[in-house]
Amino acid sequence: MSRVQNTKLILWLLTGFAAAVALNRYVFGLGVTTNLSDKTPWGFWIGFDVMAGVALAAGGFVTTAIFYIMKREEFHPLVKPAVLTAFLGYLAVVAGLLVDLGLPWNIWHMIIYWNPHSPLFEVGWCVMLYTTVLLLEFSPVPLEKSSRYAKIRDFLMKFRFPLVLLGIMLSTLHQSSLGTLFLIMRYRLYPLWYSHILPIEFFISAVALGLMMVAFESLASHWLYRREPETSLVSRLCAAAAWVLVIYFVAKMTDIIASGKLGLIFNGKWQSDLFIVEVLVSTIIPAALFFVPKYRGNTRVQWIGSSMVVVGMVLNRIDVGGLAMLDSTASYTPSWMEIAISFGVVSAAVLVFLFAIENFHIWEIRPEDPESLTYTPPSFDYSSRTWLGVPSMASLTKHTLAFVLSFAVGMALMSGKRLHAEGIDQITVRPATAADSLCDTLCINGNRDDQFVDFSHAGHISRIGKDSCWVCHHLSLPGEKLSSCWECHTSMYREADFFKHDWHASSAGANLKCDDCHTPGVTRTAQSAKKCTACHPAYKFASDEKDVAQEYDIPSYVDAMHKLCVSCHTVEARQMKDKPNLAQCPTCHRVGTPPDLRADMKWDVRLPHFDNLILPDVRRNGK
Amino acid sequence: MESLLSFARGPLFRLCFMIMLLGLARLLFLDLWEAYRAYRKAGDKKMPWRLIVRRSLEWAVPVKRVSRNPQLYYIVSILFHIGLIVVPVFLFAHINLWKSSIGISWPALPFQWALWLTISTIVFAAVLLIERLSVKAIHLLSRGQDYFWLILLLFPFVTGFVCANIRISAGLYEFLMAVHVLSGDLIFLLIPFTKIAHCVLAPFSQVIDALAWKFPPATDQDILETLDRFK
Repeated sequence: MSRVQNTKLILWLLTGFAAAVALNRYVFGLGVTTNLSDKTPWGFWIGFDVMAGVALAAGGFVTTAIFYIMKREEFHPLVKPAVLTAFLGYLAVVAGLLVDLGLPWNIWHMIIYWNPHSPLFEVGWCVMLYTTVLLLEFSPVPLEKSSRYAKIRDFLMKFRFPLVLLGIMLSTLHQSSLGTLFLIMRYRLYPLWYSHILPIEFFISAVALGLMMVAFESLASHWLYRREPETSLVSRLCAAAAWVLVIYFVAKMTDIIASGKLGLIFNGKWQSDLFIVEVLVSTIIPAALFFVPKYRGNTRVQWIGSSMVVVGMVLNRIDVGGLAMLDSTASYTPSWMEIAISFGVVSAAVLVFLFAIENFHIWEIRPEDPESLTYTPPSFDYSSRTWLGVPSMASLTKHTLAFVLSFAVGMALMSGKRLHAEGIDQITVRPATAADSLCDTLCINGNRDDQFVDFSHAGHISRIGKDSCWVCHHLSLPGEKLSSCWECHTSMYREADFFKHDWHASSAGANLKCDDCHTPGVTRTAQSAKKCTACHPAYKFASDEKDVAQEYDIPSYVDAMHKLCVSCHTVEARQMKDKPNLAQCPTCHRVGTPPDLRADMKWDVRLPHFDNLILPDVRRNGK
Repeated sequence: MESLLSFARGPLFRLCFMIMLLGLARLLFLDLWEAYRAYRKAGDKKMPWRLIVRRSLEWAVPVKRVSRNPQLYYIVSILFHIGLIVVPVFLFAHINLWKSSIGISWPALPFQWALWLTISTIVFAAVLLIERLSVKAIHLLSRGQDYFWLILLLFPFVTGFVCANIRISAGLYEFLMAVHVLSGDLIFLLIPFTKIAHCVLAPFSQVIDALAWKFPPATDQDILETLDRFK
């Protein structure tokens, strides 16, 4: 039985190591644990833990569909292990996600604050619901251990069929919606992987992968416990998978040919090589193997084929989830800590799987307790000669020790310095530039990178009205008639201090006494102090932002501009029937917008080029 | 020397400290788990719980036992334990290390107290060592690790005392500091694998002792068989 024990030992080592890294991640944050950045926010964890994890769990719904819906009774031995695998797979996805999310404690927000426009909203709900369904589907198995829970078990068994149906439905939704998610990343994902039918491809491949995962898991667990492999059942799974793989391949290639991307496969770039390898490993070779009846009845070929599909499809999910985006994101290689956590999560799931196999009625014949097979002499405390009983926990002792040691090694490898991520850079906003001294058209480019917005200042004035400055501008900084955005919103991405309390109080500044603004006897807060307009009567506020000035913090330049433009454009878009896309990004952000998407916007205003930029500070300097 | 010191204070310390923390937790878990299994197996479940709790408390606050049977060994041992625990935990320099690395701190011991507690711990350790060697009854009961631990525990205390209180050359200071940190690391590393594990197991030793006498059915046969093997 040492095969199981040794496997468990390795799994415990990996789990312990990952636990230390996870602790590091929660204490010090993502910045020091991962190589992810703002430009590459999705990496190995999304590709492997989430995308591949969900796909690997597809065995659950495929097997239940075969058994309960298609009534193929002979697959009964595979149902319980498959449901268990799916359940643990989803738990692993959740565990991996809780490590990956920046603010994991806000995960419940999705339940209360609905955003039905977000694909992730749908993905999140599917994960939650399907995990619950899987729990209910699987829980009769551990419940049958004790007669105390017989009633709950009977109750759950009554709902078995609806639960199975619900599970299949949710899986169909979820497997495909992970593909839907990437439909919004048309310009990030390399064209070979991007496809309008990505959701359908994901669903079909999940069915194939589900079949093969059940086969792989059956082969692996039977090998571990030294039992006769379920060759005939697995060969049927292989035959079914071969057909599904063909459908998948045909769908994929038809789409690639129809959208004229065939040439991309053979253009010699690394992406095309990756694509060829992926399709060969995940689809062509295993399907070819499984179409030959002689081969698919052979355990060794079953091993090879099923592991190829598993590896290939996992590669596919990793490709879509990040690898095939590398050209359009910043360079990224997963850190060893990311990989450690991913492997640890999988190891923990496998450990739970083995525990369930050994302790619950998952297989028709339960494997024997590995420790009962070897006789270990009873042990004595050698100082008092007290009998301590049969050391039946030998493996528990060993495995916990492995966990402790690898955890400690993980902690030792963490950097001992006080670590923190740098956070958002402080970038001082630079004023908008204009091609002419009248500021008719402004080039808004606060951080002076290549991404700027052409803003037709004169055009807006003519549309909204001549006396409408206050619609956008807060009028104004004290002592001025009107102020540009950058003068108060001084930081590109961070909040700024608008009021400058200390400056008002200092003798070098406004030289005010406390009581000049704060009422004596009342606790001195921003709210209880005089309003700005009491001293600066010319100060006016755009729209309803009156109380904002009572807070010292004002939004970053980016946030302020987005709020100002988008909120107005949203209203306008509803009113103007001919410009439904007015509130969308490419309306203002033209640079970098792909031409075909720009064509989608239905109108195109040609703006002057800004070859010779003049700062619009004429107004101030000219005075 | 400097890189060795920073290694011993950094990665090696984290390794050993984590092994100690989790190793002790593991020992406690395994012991209680095994005790629970033994309890479930026991045919006669009349456990003298009241007596067990009383004895456990008596051992936790050993005043009664000592006053009933006042022996030099008991008293010295108790005083030794106080210094052994209080000095490393509440020393200002140690708290400072915690504060600068992970930002937690707690009240420190006044310097004079720390000094005298250190000296007393060293002296009591020496007395215990002499007792173990000279008193025949104790000598007979002693195992190798009983001597080893007394000597090992002296290393960080003596080096720490010298480094903190005596003016020495920088080279010697670094050397002694390295010995101090490395011996400390070794102590942490060995705690869960030796008799020092009693620091978490002692409160439960009465329960486990009582349970150890609850034989499962047909144990006698097994015992005879096993004893045969030991011959």
